[in-house]
Amino acid sequence: MVYMDNAATTKPYKSVMETYLNTGDDYYFNTASIHMKGREAARLLEAARTQVKGLMGLDEYDCIFTSGATESNNLAIQGIVEKKKRSGKTILASEIEHPSIMNTLEAMKEKGFRVKYIRTTPEGMIDLSHLEALIDEDVIFITVMAVNNIIGSVQPVQEIVRLLEDHPKVHLHVDATQAVGKIQMDYRGVGSLSFSSHKFHGVKGVGALLSRDGKATFPIIHGGGHEYGKRSGTVNLPGAVAMARAMRISTEGIKENTARIIRYNEQVQNTLGDFKSIHIHPGGVPHIMNISFIGAQGEVVVNALGRRGVMVSTTSACASKLRKLNETLSAIGSSKEKIEGSIRISFGNMTTQAEVDQLCDALGAVYEEIKEVLE
Amino acid sequence: MNYDYILVRYGEITLKTKNRKMFLNALQRSIERAMEGYDVAIDVQRDRAYIQIKDEPHEKIMDALENINGILSFSPVVKIETDEESMLNTAVALGKEFKHGETFKVEVKRVDKTYHLNTYDIQLLLGGYILENVEGISVDVRHPDHQLNVEVRPEAIYMYYEARQGMGGLPAGTGGKSLLMLSGGIDSPVAGLEVMKKGVEIEAIHFHSPPYTSPEATNKVKKLVEIMSRRTGTDIKLHIVPFTKLQTTIYEWIPDNFSMTTTRRIMLTIAEELARTVNAQAVINGENLGQVASQTLQSMHAINAVTSFPVLRPLLTLDKNEIVEKARAYGTYETSILPYEDCCTIFKPKAPKTRPSLEKVEKFESKVDFRPLIAEALENVECFSADEAEEKEAFAGLL
Repeated sequence: MVYMDNAATTKPYKSVMETYLNTGDDYYFNTASIHMKGREAARLLEAARTQVKGLMGLDEYDCIFTSGATESNNLAIQGIVEKKKRSGKTILASEIEHPSIMNTLEAMKEKGFRVKYIRTTPEGMIDLSHLEALIDEDVIFITVMAVNNIIGSVQPVQEIVRLLEDHPKVHLHVDATQAVGKIQMDYRGVGSLSFSSHKFHGVKGVGALLSRDGKATFPIIHGGGHEYGKRSGTVNLPGAVAMARAMRISTEGIKENTARIIRYNEQVQNTLGDFKSIHIHPGGVPHIMNISFIGAQGEVVVNALGRRGVMVSTTSACASKLRKLNETLSAIGSSKEKIEGSIRISFGNMTTQAEVDQLCDALGAVYEEIKEVLE
Repeated sequence: MNYDYILVRYGEITLKTKNRKMFLNALQRSIERAMEGYDVAIDVQRDRAYIQIKDEPHEKIMDALENINGILSFSPVVKIETDEESMLNTAVALGKEFKHGETFKVEVKRVDKTYHLNTYDIQLLLGGYILENVEGISVDVRHPDHQLNVEVRPEAIYMYYEARQGMGGLPAGTGGKSLLMLSGGIDSPVAGLEVMKKGVEIEAIHFHSPPYTSPEATNKVKKLVEIMSRRTGTDIKLHIVPFTKLQTTIYEWIPDNFSMTTTRRIMLTIAEELARTVNAQAVINGENLGQVASQTLQSMHAINAVTSFPVLRPLLTLDKNEIVEKARAYGTYETSILPYEDCCTIFKPKAPKTRPSLEKVEKFESKVDFRPLIAEALENVECFSADEAEEKEAFAGLL
């Protein structure tokens, strides 16, 4: 099996699984218990928290462990706009956000908030001048992802931070799910930031929301008051510790992995360069490639590759079952044919050269198989 | 031989009547701490404790009990059925552990007065059976090498012969708290461990003067604290005081032959302050009468004048070789003799006053205001604990 769907989820590192098991074994205590062992577990949780914040370059931020980025995004949007609703009702968002943002915003509309979308350039970047034009007195919240999950475009986080210096009441939320452990970015100055452990070779079911001022968030899960009362429920300590480790290993390996993955990306581009009716969408990070087989259905290509043991996806795992044209690709002005025929190949830190060779062979074989239907 | 229990005899706890419960609770905590990770059941009774062994080899449990304060001695015990055959088989099995040429006697305690054999019958029966079945050993009722104890109780018979010496004294934490001045040399760790024997909990204070003293010197003191913690089943906290500014100020302002006295006076002042903060009721040091210049009675008088705290000097009258012997027995010696400079050896005056007068010292010191420097040193104390260091390492392995 050749796994090329690392933007959907990744395989945990061996040592991360060891950490998960050992923590579960040796520190199974409740971090909220006041006995000696509970306090020891709580100290381990704090060590994990400190490491996570340090690796993100946000040592001064609050870190709330959650079940993953979907929950973190919900907590950021619902928890913060709720607190800020007296200062305004308008939320700005890029058009290419993940469904965990988009659908939360839809829900906020029902609660009386207005949502305006920032235009996207053909390269998949937000249009900064449009953002600037949209900001008015009523805007309280802006949400922009760091790296897009469909095409991999990288958003200018620091430029947005600078733009907002004159608008202190606006909270900037960054969904960094596809960025963490893959690209070194400067997040200083953002209001909050979310990510999931399983996207950078950690285990599933854990993520975090880093927040410049955690107190300014209203909890969406109520209960025993864990995580500073912002996210109740017994803390998933093995998951959090394993996440801290996965983040360390991935972050430390960014330079080396990126150099390798750039070569993989180029090899796939070279292979496809010989084929007609193939369109490679503009990208950003090298580990995400979005390719259209114009005239075919993306699903057909995914299945054809699957029969050859290569796992890729159509748009994104979270949206691919929604059966509507992908928003990101629509937003960058891609045609209906290109969108329908698109697949996403995503490399991970464990991807090997041999697997990329197999992928290229499979792409060639599938092309031969379906080239009659391609335009 | 497969033993079922370790029988633990108490030291001075047995002299306590009214507050024995408090001592027993403290002992229970110490035993529990030492037994962490072993599959045992601990039963602390009024006069003795029983540790039930499950799968662990009894030697490991015995080694762990050896360093616990408050335990006089302990024995591995076999529990058997109340029939004669079990008694005879066990007696021979134990007898086979005696060495060729050694002597023994059988001692019987018949708690179950209804048992069908009387004390004398059992002694005769077991003694004779061992002599018949184990070669090369003989009976000596006055000065035996081994005493084979048999306790006949209604529910079972208990047999044992080996008795290992424990630390004696009183359980940790029953005698208040003291602050140990820990230099890193041979004497101070011994002084601390001696006082701990009496159930006194300790924290330690160490002065370092970077860059004049090396990180190795501080690590050596941390290592000593680790050895002492492990040995006593406690977590001794080490407070590391930055002393460089005070040291250089003393060097600058106090005449060379009085600088040692002033240094010691300031260290004791800081120790007293810290002792107050950590709720210690006394300060301990490794001073020994006449060993070096600062340790004459006159010198002690001049130094001691800065504090109203009791300064405990458990090594006061010992000879150096006696201290070395204790350090070896406690396992601190090898670390203590590692050759790193501490702040006393670097700024050592060429000819320190052996009889400094308090009046003169005070006159010299009145020229400088040491108080802000002392306050600054106290504010920048770093705290180290072996448990925390171990925890940090364990966490680092996971993260």
